[in-house]
Amino acid sequence: MKKLTSFAAAAVMAITAGAASAEGLSTPNLSYRTGPFAATGIPLMNGQRDYMLMLNARDGGIGGVPVDFSECETGYSTEKGVECYEATKGDAIVTQPWSTGITLQVLPKTNVDEIPILAPGYGFSPMADGSVFNWAFNMPGSYWDAASMILNEISGNDLSTLSGQKIAFLHLDHPFGKEPLPFLENMAEEHGFELLPIPVGLKEMQNQSAQWLQIRRERPDYVVMWGWGAMNAGALTEAVKTRYPMDQFLGVWWSGHDGDMEALGEAGTGYRSISYSAPQPDAQVMADIREYVFDKGDSLATESELDWVFYQRGLVISAMLAEGIKTAQDHFGEGEITASQLRWGLENINLTDERLAEMGMTGMVAPFSTSCSNHTGHAGGWMLQWNGSEWEVASDHLMPDSEAIRPLEVAAAAEYAEANAPWPIADCE
Amino acid sequence: MEFLKKLFVDPFVEMVSYPDFLMQVLWEGLVSGVLYSLIALGFVLIFRSSRIFNFAQGIMVVFAALTLVGFHAMGIPAWVSVIFTLGVMALLAITIERVVLRPLVGQPDIILFMATIGITLFLIGGGELIFGGETKRMITSDLGIPTGSVDFEPFGGLLILQHLDITSVAAAVVLVTGLLIFLNKTRMGRAIRALGDDHQAALSVGISLRTVWVLVWFIAGVIALMTGIFWGARAGVSFALEVIAYKALPVLMLGGLESITGAIVGGLAIGLLEKLFEIYWGQPLLGGGTETWFAFVLALIVLLFRPQGLFGEKIIERV
Repeated sequence: MKKLTSFAAAAVMAITAGAASAEGLSTPNLSYRTGPFAATGIPLMNGQRDYMLMLNARDGGIGGVPVDFSECETGYSTEKGVECYEATKGDAIVTQPWSTGITLQVLPKTNVDEIPILAPGYGFSPMADGSVFNWAFNMPGSYWDAASMILNEISGNDLSTLSGQKIAFLHLDHPFGKEPLPFLENMAEEHGFELLPIPVGLKEMQNQSAQWLQIRRERPDYVVMWGWGAMNAGALTEAVKTRYPMDQFLGVWWSGHDGDMEALGEAGTGYRSISYSAPQPDAQVMADIREYVFDKGDSLATESELDWVFYQRGLVISAMLAEGIKTAQDHFGEGEITASQLRWGLENINLTDERLAEMGMTGMVAPFSTSCSNHTGHAGGWMLQWNGSEWEVASDHLMPDSEAIRPLEVAAAAEYAEANAPWPIADCE
Repeated sequence: MEFLKKLFVDPFVEMVSYPDFLMQVLWEGLVSGVLYSLIALGFVLIFRSSRIFNFAQGIMVVFAALTLVGFHAMGIPAWVSVIFTLGVMALLAITIERVVLRPLVGQPDIILFMATIGITLFLIGGGELIFGGETKRMITSDLGIPTGSVDFEPFGGLLILQHLDITSVAAAVVLVTGLLIFLNKTRMGRAIRALGDDHQAALSVGISLRTVWVLVWFIAGVIALMTGIFWGARAGVSFALEVIAYKALPVLMLGGLESITGAIVGGLAIGLLEKLFEIYWGQPLLGGGTETWFAFVLALIVLLFRPQGLFGEKIIERV
């Protein structure tokens, strides 16, 4: 019955999104609780929503101003996402597009509308270059960061050891899946390993036998997965079926969903997923979520979901947005900040260990700071490993290879600006 | 020259050099093909009896699988849940006939097609409201469906057959055989075929359109449940299952919308050919991902020569 009520609430929320918003800081979320990607979207959206509800209930919002956290349902469809952006941008101080495809579509629009895009850990990796992408933020890490950390992990931090090896790149045939390809191709050329891109079409997500027959034939040393939604469960099932060694199979942070792994159980033991967030069930913020939201029956999440990686990542995502808002409020001395003031706030986040402790989120995300020229923060992350029943943090804190990534980011950003000229360039000096 | 070698020589050399791998490819193609045939059969049965292209077939797979898992989650034993789910699919068939189809009798085909889009949206919304959007685990072992695999070593190689795949092929064969017997040997089955052959003539001899419609929608529901069980057992039950219905579209184009034989042969042909093409030509020459378009191109080629599909009826309209 709770589920029915929850989804009725979610439906009403989706229907009302886009209508005149309530008072407060309008932070619309272009969510997807329906469609083929709903299973992975729901816990993330629940975490985001619960954090904002908790701030409203505990602190009266941010800086005393309540947060108006509405959702507009996209179903992960780029077309619907653009419609949602247009419908919610009116009084929004931020847009959260929740898909690389939607992010790429609204990127030029946000320049005109002057609304910051917050795409934590997704979107276009060169968005890191804030001088070109003035309004776009993808902290605390980009896809190129994730790919770099995965390569560091499998090479023991010495990429020259990958020379002569073969790495299969199993990816969703979608802008999201193709995003890390330029970086991986560059690394393959530089370090002498063979990169084998294997696309998975949307209609093949649940039947990847052809892709895994290719993996069986090619015998790659590692399989790196850029999967989302039903593709993850499909790939993991086929990996078990093909008897591919799980400890040679790694995924991006969107390919590490508890729901998928629970269905696989023991068979998935050894699979690893890079993650910019780490679940901390005993963190103070979790106690606050329970006290101010969950126990009051205001959450759409289930009890078991609260400890999931994706739910707690949702909390981290809203916490980063809240920190950007707070930074702007403190700087401008105003509670009801504007979108351009939030942009300043997001460009000046300084999330230290001390600040994370104050927020009750120690260990949930690594400390990082942003600047005018650095919109990603490059916080690094951890390698999570499935032990048969839950995720465990299986590495020390990992960092991407910024020396290799930065020149590529700058070059790709410049190329984008040139292709979309005239494109405003900010002076970050 | 190198390209021609890759096109005409290398694939066949590889097939001969690694016959065990070829057998694995054929087996995977067969498993996919059987499931494509099943979905296509759901479309064909409804089209034959009512000239309706049922856009809702894909979401019916999701709805049936979610209902089954939902009943089981309430503590109902697996096989009782199957019976309850069949009851729900029967209720759905009756409701669709009463509420959607009956008021639209005599309307143009496109109106009925649009109505099935409405049914799709209703089932998506209703399904998400009742069951939620999270992936559910199919109750494979509770249904007694074996998991694990059996290995063979043909020609010194390795052929892995999943028990689940063997069971799904066997179950599909039983279901299709049962359907063929029903359609050919029973009174109701003949009524369905008669409606497909000539609507007016069938009605004139007293065949009840309403009863037949309820029956074919129920049979489509049974097929949807079975498809949902076996596809859901592979990667979980979620709304992503809906997209597999689109795999049946080229099967229908290839086999013909009215032909049960066409659905079966078309499904098997596409399953086998798309897998062979992807592995031996698509991946080495085109970087893979050919399964998304290969079946449609194949169907298009067939349509150029046989617009009614391989087994479809050639319609001659006199003016």
